[in-house]
Parts: sequence; C-alpha cells; structure tokens
Amino acid sequence: MEDLLKVSNLNTEFKSDYGSKPALNNISFNIKEGEVLALVGESGSGKTVTSLSIMGLLPNNASVENGEITLLSKKNKEINILNLSDEKHNEIRGNDISMVFQEPMTCLNPTMTVGEQILEVIIRHKKISKINAKKEMIGLLELVEIPDPIQRSIEYPHQLSGGMRQRIMIAIALACSPKLIIADEPTSALDVTIQAQLLELLKKLKNSIVTKTSILFITHDLGIVKELADRVIVMYQGKIVEEGNVLDVFENPKHSYTNNLIQSLPEFKIEKRKQKKIIKKETNNKNIILSIKNLYKEFPVDKGIFKQSNESVKAVQNVSLNVRQNKILGLVGESGSGKSTLGKTIIKLIEPTSGKINFKNQDISNFNRQKMQNIRQKIQMIFQDPFASLNPRKNILDTLMEPILVHKLMKKNEATEYIKQIINDVGLPIESLIRFPHEFSGGQRQRIGIARALVLKPEFIIADEPVSALDVSIQAQVLNLLETIKETYNLTMIFISHDLSVIEYFCDEVAVMYLGHIVEMAPVNELFSNPKHSYTKALLSAVPKVKAKKTNKILIKGDIPSPINPPSGCVFRTRCPNPGIECKGGDIKMGLVEVEPNHWVDQCCAKLN
Amino acid sequence: MNFFLKKLLIVIPTLYIAWTVVFVTLNIIPGDPVNLMLGGRPASDEVRENVRKNLGLDKPVLERYGSFLVNATKGDLGKSYLTRQPVTKMIKENMMPTIELSIGGLIFGVFFGVLFGIFAGTKPNSIRDTISMIIALCGISLPSFWIGMMLIYIFGTTLGWVPIVGDGFVSLILPSISVGLFFAGGMARLTRSSLVDVLNQDYIRTARSKGISKYNIILKHSLRNAMIPPVTLLGIQFGLLITGAVITEEVFARPGLGQLLLQAILAKDIPLVQALVVYMTAVYIFLNLIVDFTYGIIDPRIRLERKN
Ligand SMILES: Nc1ncnc2c1ncn2[C@@H]1O[C@H](COP(=O)(O)OP(=O)(O)OP(=O)(O)O)[C@@H](O)[C@H]1O
Ligand code: SF4
Ligand SMILES: [Mg+2]
Repeated sequence: MEDLLKVSNLNTEFKSDYGSKPALNNISFNIKEGEVLALVGESGSGKTVTSLSIMGLLPNNASVENGEITLLSKKNKEINILNLSDEKHNEIRGNDISMVFQEPMTCLNPTMTVGEQILEVIIRHKKISKINAKKEMIGLLELVEIPDPIQRSIEYPHQLSGGMRQRIMIAIALACSPKLIIADEPTSALDVTIQAQLLELLKKLKNSIVTKTSILFITHDLGIVKELADRVIVMYQGKIVEEGNVLDVFENPKHSYTNNLIQSLPEFKIEKRKQKKIIKKETNNKNIILSIKNLYKEFPVDKGIFKQSNESVKAVQNVSLNVRQNKILGLVGESGSGKSTLGKTIIKLIEPTSGKINFKNQDISNFNRQKMQNIRQKIQMIFQDPFASLNPRKNILDTLMEPILVHKLMKKNEATEYIKQIINDVGLPIESLIRFPHEFSGGQRQRIGIARALVLKPEFIIADEPVSALDVSIQAQVLNLLETIKETYNLTMIFISHDLSVIEYFCDEVAVMYLGHIVEMAPVNELFSNPKHSYTKALLSAVPKVKAKKTNKILIKGDIPSPINPPSGCVFRTRCPNPGIECKGGDIKMGLVEVEPNHWVDQCCAKLN
Repeated sequence: MNFFLKKLLIVIPTLYIAWTVVFVTLNIIPGDPVNLMLGGRPASDEVRENVRKNLGLDKPVLERYGSFLVNATKGDLGKSYLTRQPVTKMIKENMMPTIELSIGGLIFGVFFGVLFGIFAGTKPNSIRDTISMIIALCGISLPSFWIGMMLIYIFGTTLGWVPIVGDGFVSLILPSISVGLFFAGGMARLTRSSLVDVLNQDYIRTARSKGISKYNIILKHSLRNAMIPPVTLLGIQFGLLITGAVITEEVFARPGLGQLLLQAILAKDIPLVQALVVYMTAVYIFLNLIVDFTYGIIDPRIRLERKN
C-alpha cells in the first residue's frame, strides 16, 4: 500500500519571552492508505502538537522549525504541506485531511445549528447546489446514526448530548470523504458506554464506505489502541520511542516507557492483587463502620420566581449500603448517575431528603452543623481537582495547618512536626511545604489533596474521582499511595470512579449506580466475574481492554435519561439491551435482593436472569 | 412569553423607585419656588399665598407625592412654573432634535466602535491593534464638550466643510461624532477583547480545520458570539448617551431636551425638571428592555432558557 502521509524530521517549537522550547524532536513516521495508526503517549508528550502541525493549526506562539510533511492528495499529487500558503492549506483542510477534537462540549459553534455546521464544510469544498448539499448533510447524519436527523439538524449544539455532538464532529470530518482523518482523543471526555458506541461506529465506518480513508487516532487508552488500530507509535517527551504493529508492541515492548505504560494499566496489576487478597481474606473483619438505609436526595427544580414546581431531580433513590472497617467500597456508574451526590450526602455537604446515615453506631442524619463538626473531622473528602479547592495564595504548610487549628487538634509547633511527617508519607519532599499550589504538577497536587484529607486523622475517606484527571502512569502512583496510606492510617474508604478498571484494581466491594439507584453490589471479584444485572454486564463489556479476546460487545443504546423524569419500573429499561416482557410495562418495583452471599442485585433483574 | 411578562413586571417597581428619588431630591432643594415665580419682585403675603395655592404647594408633601405618582402614570406632569404651559407639551416640542442626535451618536458609535474592534481584535498585539486601542482610549477619555468644540473649530470654522448650525442631515454630523465618540471608544475596546476571546475558542479551531477562510471565520463564526458583551455595554451606556446629547446640544447651540433641561434647572422649574427626568428614566428603562431582548436573538442558548 502507498504512503498517504509522510512526516520526516519534524521539529516544532514553542516560543516565549524566555526563549524557545522544543515540543517535537525530529519526528518521522508515515501513514499508509486505509490504515488506522494510533498515537499514544502521556499528556504533554506532543501528540496534539503533531496533529496541529499536520493541520497547519498551530497556535501563534508555535512554529515548525524544520522537517517535511508530504501528503498524497485526492488528485494523487504529492503536496508538501509545510510550503503551502494559508489559502492553499484551506483547500486541503476539511477536504483532504479533517480532524475530530477532544472536547465535544466546546468544539461546535454555539450560535449555529449543527446542520449548518455540517453544510458549511460540504459547500466549502464541493461544487454542488445547496439542495444537494442538504441531502448530503442529512445522509451524513444518518451515517453517524443520529436518530431523527432532519429534526436534529436544526438544533443547536447545547441541545445535544456529548456523545451526539461527537457524532456531529465525525459527520463534519467525513463530509468531503477525506484521505486522512485525525482524531485527537475523540472519546476521552465521554462515558465508557458512549465511548463504546462511538468506537463501534468508527469500526463500522472503517470497514464500509471510507475504506480508503486513513485514521490517525490519538489516545492515551491502550485498550482503544488494541481495539481499533493497525499500527501504533508511542511518543515520549517529543520523541517517537516506539513504532510497530499493535500486537507486536503489546507482546514485546522495546522501550522502557512503553513497557511501564503497559505495566501500569490497572488490568495488569489485578492479577497480582487477586493473589494478595486471598491471603488477606482470613483477617476479614465484619465491623460495619458506615451504614446507610433508604437514603433519598431530590433537588427541587427551579422554574423561576413566579412558578412553584413540584418537579425534582431524583439524584439519589432509596440507597442502602454498608461499609465495613478497613474496606474500600467502589461506587461506579455513568456521569449523572448520582455518585458524587451520594458521596456528598453521606457527610452532609448536601442535606439528605430522607433516610438514615449511621456512622460508628450514631445516626448522623439529623445532626446539626455543630454536631457535624466533630464527625467531619473523622470523615474527609478527596476531590477530582484538588487545585480548585486549594487557596492559590497560601503555601502548603498554611493550607495544611488551617484545619488543624480550626479543630484545635494540637498546638502550632506540634502541628508543624506532624505535617512534615504526613507530607513525607504522601511522597513529597519537605521543601514542598513552603511552596504554592501552582508550583506542583497534577499528580503532586493530588498528593497534597490526600495530605490535606489526612491531617485531621480521619477514620473514613470519601474519594470522588481522585485519579480521573491524571495520566495512566501517574494514576498508578497515586493509587499505590492511597493503598499504603489506607494501611498505615487504618482507613475505610468510599472510592468514586467512572473507570471500571481502576475500581477493579483498587476496591474490595463495588456498588454500581444508575440514575440514582444502586442496581448491583458485590465483592469485587464476584462482581467482575459474575455480573448479574444487565447494566453491569453492559458496563463491563464497554471497557476496551488490552487483553480482551474478540467477544461480542453488549452495546447500550442512547444516552442516560433525565433524572427529573426517570423511566418508571426498572430505570434502566429504556436502554436495556434485552429487557424482559415484564420490564417493558414499567410497573415493576426496584429494590436490592441478596442472590448469593454478599451479592446484591436489583430484584427485577434478579428474577429474570 | 413568560420572560417578556417578567421583564415588564420589573419595569414598574424600577420606574416607581426612580420617580420617588426624583421627587424627594427636588423637594429638599433649598430655595422657595414662589420667589422664583415672582422673579424676585417684592410681594405681599396674600399674593405669595395665591401663587403657592396655584402651584399646589400648599398641600402636605405626602399628598403632593401621591398625586405626582398618579399623574406621572397618566402622563400628566403638571405645568411649568415659568411658562405656565403643560410640561408634556414643552417636552414634545423639544424631543425630536434630541432623538435625532442620540440616534446619530448611537449609529456613529456602534459603527466605528465595532469596526475598530474587529480591526484590532483580529490581529491582537500587532501595531494596528495598538494604534486602534490608543484611538479608542482617546475617545473614552476626551470629554465630549471639548471634542465638540474642536470639531467645530477644525471642520466648521477653519476648513468650512460642514455647517455648524442649521437644519438637516449635514448639520447633524459633527454633533453625532461628538456624542458617539465616547461610545465608539468603549465599543471598540469591548469588541476587541471579546473577539480575541472568541477567536481562541475551540469551535474556531474546528472551523479552521474545515478550511473556512479567515474572512468567513470572522463574519460567520466569531462576530455573533463576540457581540454579547458589547450589546450589554450598549444597555448600560444609554444613560451616558443621553447625558452626552444634553451637553453636546449646549456646545452646538442646538435646540432639544438638553437645552430645556438646563434652563429648567437654572430656573428651579421643578415640574419641568421632574418631567424631564421622569421621561428620561422611562426611555432608559425601555431601551434596556430592547437590549435584553436582543440577547435572545444573538444567542440561541439564552433563547431556549427563556422559553422554559
Ligand atoms: N446542586 C444540584 N442541583 C440540582 N441538580 C444537581 C445538583 N447536584 C447534582 N445534581 C444532579 O444530580 C444528578 C447526579 O449528579 P452527580 O454529579 O452526583 O453525578 P455523577 O455520577 O457524579 O456524575 P460525574 O461522573 O459527571 O461527576 C445529575 O443529574 C445532576 O445534574
Ligand atoms: S429489570 Fe429488565 S429492563 Fe431492567 S435491567 Fe433487568 S432486564 Fe433490563
Ligand atoms: Mg461526579
């Protein structure tokens, strides 16, 4: 097969007042016609700069210093992209090469209908009448499987879900049947279920109409690489460190960075962990430290000053669960399923609507603010973005000192020693204490977030997506830290995440949430090897895995429904891949039943399976 | 519809508060209006009492306040102390030139403001950006009366290009510039910063990845999104537009509400001042209402929010 795109010795630099900083260091690679080439590497390694260099869309302070990029155009002419004027480049952009970006929320123009945005690129590059262009536009919407395309085409981006917007972006990219599509982390901002839908679509497209189209797929997810790509290149600090067929690279990585990347995948660590668990089981302890009974949280819907409405967002519905001492309970589910709300309701950052919360045999659900003060010291929270909750003008010592003094835990000089010990325990140098939040990397900031949760000597920690914003290799480090900390400080945890492989690696028990309900709950190995609920099954099969065999995926259709009007009966029935006849009527009652020791499943699904 | 109604309902208390402020301030100003009426001539107590009665000043303050509010709502704002004519009639007679001038200033301000804003914002930190912004800053900081005087001096007296006084469109040019320059400066600065912001958005990068020309990116993808802050400014600065018109009328010796207001203030003609301020607040609130509605036209997200 012929080379469609050849990149040779590409050097791209960023310029600032302090001089220039190389972003790409002598990059060379090629893409063959019809091939899917994956580009992986941690954040900051130069993946996006590579794609923007090809597109000619580098920001103003960046420029290609030397190198060559040649493209075999639609007319079978070799073009050196870097020598093109902006006008000539515009002829190619959207026509020969197109691009799908990461952020579906911000990548479409909010003041134009999605139809117009697709139409625009057709009219720009094809010499056809407006009526025919419109027909093509609707055809494209059908191709990317948007339901009700004519109606959708006159809607604005904010009226569509993230998954649908990304389908629109794909339609725009496909509009002129380009030779090359560059997709820059197109599914990273989406839920696994929606990601699975999109990957399925891309696979279908790859095998049908666009046979001669090549795809440069940028991702940090090795599972996706395995699923979609023919070949892979690995970037590290602006250099290509590895290149080869996907299977070869996974079997036999040559560069140590690639090897680390594969080894730090949670699914590779699970094996080791499983053995460890078996030993631990004997010291299993049955003390229940936190127990929740029939917890509800509903947010009233605000309809303005003049209308009183009785609608509400049903964020948490009839949740009951127990957390045993020294265990980690994982809470998993799609975005909008109510995980964070549940976490915040437990420590009453949000008042529950009804239900009981028992912490160490005290019912705290009716505690007032004063009484909660003491409890809050014992239950701490860690958030996804620690930076947002750190005061940028306070150094780390002051940040950590404040809660100690507020709770009058110890004297100031005593506290300084104590803080030094904690900062050492979370793996940061003592000098960090006199530095300010912006001087730290994402992973280090999360260590500070953990330190801050620890200073009050809590017994219980609720961690809400603590590693979701971090790179895979950093994720692994922070998870290891959390594990050690848990042992040394004798902690119990609720760990919220949408990432199933992280949950599987890290937690002892797992509760699966959907639209405010817990639909299944079991010890981690049991849940992952023997899922009972249709939602759990679909969720598990949606995760792209490096080691997966080619099995048929269970795809969940559409998006999560609005929690204001959840479906009656089983809340999952509108998206369930194989609902029973009883489910469709919508008048069955939800509630967990214990099907095997410690394995709880929603009763309607339990009956059917 | 709901949104429109809500907005209209807010207008009522706003007007009420504005009118109350007008009434209270004018009634605590020292100086007896009766003296003014009599033009400083000595008069017997009986005459003074008569005048007082005629003006309705003998009634208690609260009663006067009440009838003022009632009459204001009806549009009947009493008679001028000085001319004894209904103030509404006086205002009507002097209204047109001021409206013309304000519209002239508005058009000049918006047109040149947006133009300079685009000129600067499409190439931030370039020489043309710097020069445009210096001009805009001058527009904001130079007082409009001075600009008016300079315009008269340069284009009227020295060059003789445009008539300074007289009727018709041409005589409106210089006063419009002097009213609108301040506006143009603010618009230019805001349009620029908003445009720079929009041009850095992800969806502009998407548009570029589609091969859309620079010209169309600005015209089709950026301007609409960039115009929301400048339109807000428009709403806030209507008041300044009116003030600008008042001063400019004086400088150019044009008839209009500005002249009328000045005379009324100097003569302590309370009903006339009251009426003028009442009118101007109403106009101001009404114009802001229009601005509020234009948001919905510009931004479909706001439109949708309002429907629900
Ligand atoms: N303060 C609030 N007022 C109204 N609705 C809210 C509020 N907080 C959360 N919700 C709604 O409750 C539902 C559950 O939200 P929550 O953030 O807990 O989900 P999540 O699973 O944590 O999602 P993500 O993974 O995106 O963080 C959502 O529909 C959300 O819009
Ligand atoms: S109860 Fe029925 S609809 Fe609900 S998940 Fe189970 S099979 Fe599907
Ligand atoms: Mg959340």
